[in-house]
Amino acid sequence: MAARGITGIVSSLSDEALILDFQRGSRPAFEELFARYREPLYGFFRRRLDNRERAEDLMQEAFLAVIRATVRHEPRALVRTYLYGIALKLLATERRKKSTKDAPLEAGPEPKVDDASEDSVWVRQAIQKLDVPEREILMLREYEQLSYSEIAELLRLPVNTVRSRLFRSRMALKNHLDPAGKMQNAHD
Amino acid sequence: MAYLDGELALDQAATAAEHLEHCRECQSLAADLQSNSRSLMAWQIEPSDATLTPGIIAALEQRQRKLERTGGLGRWTWRSKWAWGLASACVVVAALVVGSLPRMTAPRARLNSYLETTSPVRQGRVSRAVPHDEFAPTKPMIARTANLTLATKEFDKARAGLEDILKRHQGYIGQLNVSAPIGAPHTLDATLQVPSDQRDAAIGEIKKLGRVESESQTGEEVTQQYVDLEARLSNGRNTEQRLTDLLRQRTGKLSDVLAVELEIDRVRGEIEQMEAEKKTLSNRVAFTALNIKITEDYRAQLRVTPDSMLGRFRNAAVEGYRSMLEGLTNVILFLLSYGPSLLIWAAILFLPARLLWRKRRQLARPTR
Repeated sequence: MAARGITGIVSSLSDEALILDFQRGSRPAFEELFARYREPLYGFFRRRLDNRERAEDLMQEAFLAVIRATVRHEPRALVRTYLYGIALKLLATERRKKSTKDAPLEAGPEPKVDDASEDSVWVRQAIQKLDVPEREILMLREYEQLSYSEIAELLRLPVNTVRSRLFRSRMALKNHLDPAGKMQNAHD
Repeated sequence: MAYLDGELALDQAATAAEHLEHCRECQSLAADLQSNSRSLMAWQIEPSDATLTPGIIAALEQRQRKLERTGGLGRWTWRSKWAWGLASACVVVAALVVGSLPRMTAPRARLNSYLETTSPVRQGRVSRAVPHDEFAPTKPMIARTANLTLATKEFDKARAGLEDILKRHQGYIGQLNVSAPIGAPHTLDATLQVPSDQRDAAIGEIKKLGRVESESQTGEEVTQQYVDLEARLSNGRNTEQRLTDLLRQRTGKLSDVLAVELEIDRVRGEIEQMEAEKKTLSNRVAFTALNIKITEDYRAQLRVTPDSMLGRFRNAAVEGYRSMLEGLTNVILFLLSYGPSLLIWAAILFLPARLLWRKRRQLARPTR
């Protein structure tokens, strides 16, 4: 384990070590954790909600939930899985509030770069065409980079179910991302 | 697909890679899947410039104040029976949910293999621990017990003396029973715990409290047990430390993490049990148990003034009054309970009884 630097935290510490440090009262450990997972959690919410501010709010709420739950947190799973579990629960609550079950990705986020905007829109539309359960698994795998077992843990599914749905979603996505279809869509 | 995602075990991945080298169809499919994954990355999200909000900062400060107030997080909260039991139950349930037993044996096997290869001490853990020289005490550890039976004419004085001796020799009462029935000798049965270095002096002083009727002492050597416990404790703590380091340093699969967690819980439970045993053993050696019985030399007393006679008359009168009230109450209760039934039956049977009576009287009259 590397020695601590001036700030007290070295980025080589694992997430689990950081959460343990934070449990013992180390605030720099939490700040490091925040720095590491701010973008991933924001991206998680941003891809599933149409409102940027709301995505940021939920990201902050996720970290608040971590602070409140740390007292009784026992390291049963990876911190990453733990955080995304909190994020999924917040997302489900948010969707229930909006009274739209499985909110569609209608007005998605603005594309990052102009020349990639068309591709970004195309990808979003292709993903939107997928069935909801398969879409979620695909996004957790491709964007959040979670393993099969982590996805199974989060969604309370058997690993084999995750595997089969992921395969189906990728095959379906392959058709939706067909360049011929893309050209047709562009002309429309 | 699992091969492309890195989800296969090493042997299966090798097989898949070998197949992929020769199968054009699978190569094409793999290329498509990888292309799709790259396409998905076209959907980029603008970066977040969020910092810690005032709400988060306030929560952090509140938590810090709470920690300072309570003297640190109760990281040992799971020591309590409730927390330990619930945590164990949650870990067991999570382990069952994650996978079936055959799946769990793989990470468990990897964990055991890691522990075996990283420490030779683990080799002897499951069998009886071999005592190490470093744990051997400098002198034999003996748990002693002494039994004394005394008789005394001054029971109260002897009892007070006993407590005084105990206080002076920094002992404590393990158990005490005093019996003082009227018209019978008083007796005292006590188990006292006295520091072993004060044993002989305390016994000498206790003997002076009365006439010694019997005395015995026993000693049990517990050196081997103590050394065994120390060795096993040391092994357990080493194992716990290595498991904790493993948990911190490695970020393996979830099933591996769960296996390590289960093992840590088990080892911690064993360590606590052994620490309790060691403490008990140490106390048995540090303190000598004195089983003391003191009996009073009883002489029956002739009471000149029958003070109790008046009391007995009074008690008898009160008892008689109580019996009268009790009897009256029972009669009233009986009438209340059975009265209505008796009245109904009386009403039902009255007329037939009267007719029968009249008939008998008529038959009994002589005919003219």
